[in-house]
Amino acid sequence: MGPLISNGIISQNTNFFIAFLIGIAFGFILEASGFSSSRKLAGVFYGYDTVVLKVFFTAALTGMLGLLFLSLFNWIDLDLVYINPTYLYSTIVGGMIMGAGFIMGGYCPGTSFCAASIGKIDGMFFIGGMFLGIFIFAEGYPLWEGFYKAKFMGIPTLSQVLGLKDGIVVLGMIIVAMGMFWVGEWAETKFPREEY
Amino acid sequence: MKPRHFLAIIIIPLGLIMAAIPQNTTHPYKLTPAELLEHVNSGMQYFTPDETADMIINKDPSLLLIDVRGEDEYEKFHLPGAINIPLSALLDEQWKDYLNQDIRFNVFYSNSTVNANQAWMLTRQLGYENNYVLQGGLNYWVETIVNPTPPESTSPNEEIAKYDFRKGAGMALGGGGAVSLSGSGQTAPALPKIAPRPKKKRTEGGC
Repeated sequence: MGPLISNGIISQNTNFFIAFLIGIAFGFILEASGFSSSRKLAGVFYGYDTVVLKVFFTAALTGMLGLLFLSLFNWIDLDLVYINPTYLYSTIVGGMIMGAGFIMGGYCPGTSFCAASIGKIDGMFFIGGMFLGIFIFAEGYPLWEGFYKAKFMGIPTLSQVLGLKDGIVVLGMIIVAMGMFWVGEWAETKFPREEY
Repeated sequence: MKPRHFLAIIIIPLGLIMAAIPQNTTHPYKLTPAELLEHVNSGMQYFTPDETADMIINKDPSLLLIDVRGEDEYEKFHLPGAINIPLSALLDEQWKDYLNQDIRFNVFYSNSTVNANQAWMLTRQLGYENNYVLQGGLNYWVETIVNPTPPESTSPNEEIAKYDFRKGAGMALGGGGAVSLSGSGQTAPALPKIAPRPKKKRTEGGC
């Protein structure tokens, strides 16, 4: 049955409309849970607030379990689900740049738009910086094209790399995530902040 | 109870279930035997010789005849405009765009219907649409189009009209009984150009 677009069950335009609704819900929930505060995201790195970590990991676990169960019931063909291709070096460098931006700015791309939409000036600056980065990357593309495309690995998944079944990897991730949540909550009591 | 514990109670068992059961490697587009049987029983996969002859004479571009017999048999005789995909080569990569498309009717034929039906069943199982089988195969084709039996003079008008059509079609397609000879030495038609069907793609996505 799924994915709905690949199998022609819904059109591309319907897809955009659904994405629009999901986007609104996503933004609303980000803002409602306080993600539009840059201190909340920065808190992950200083240990006084690990909600961001917990939310994103919970989302990942839900998605993993959901996809595997849907596939089990033949409701989705996992071969047709998009997986981001891996270019190893640019992934590592890009991850470092993005992480540095997280710590310095206190936003991820999604939450910066949340913050800007409720009028936070630092959020607007963050968006400005993001577009500046996109502009520099695009204009200078010939300079780093070789590096950008180096070490292409196709679309490996963790289970393929480790040679394990998807279900085992998911169980492992659940256990790792639970451990991280526990450490996170321990850190919250260890490095508390009154007001942020 | 902390939310963390609540979450753990729900997702750890789910993870255990996922780890314990075998992975699903089937592809949902495959037909179950029951569905396939239903297709076979409905007889919807057949093109009658009359329909086919009519389309050939009218040079209907939506028809592509596919001869699934061996190459030598194809060289000896084949229907006008037919291309040759021997059954043994059916799954070759080069034929994929011909078999998996949605702009024309592919009609498989062989001497009887056995091999053509096998080809049809294989393509059906692969999820390809628009593949059909020439009813009765070449043997029935010869009986009906090439050498039609004249109906009784007392037959209803429809029967006589059908006979007239078949006779005309037989002549148009190579002059009655001579059709089997006209096929010999005939060069194989150039393969028609096929615009590859947009493949089912992984849905694009991103963060």
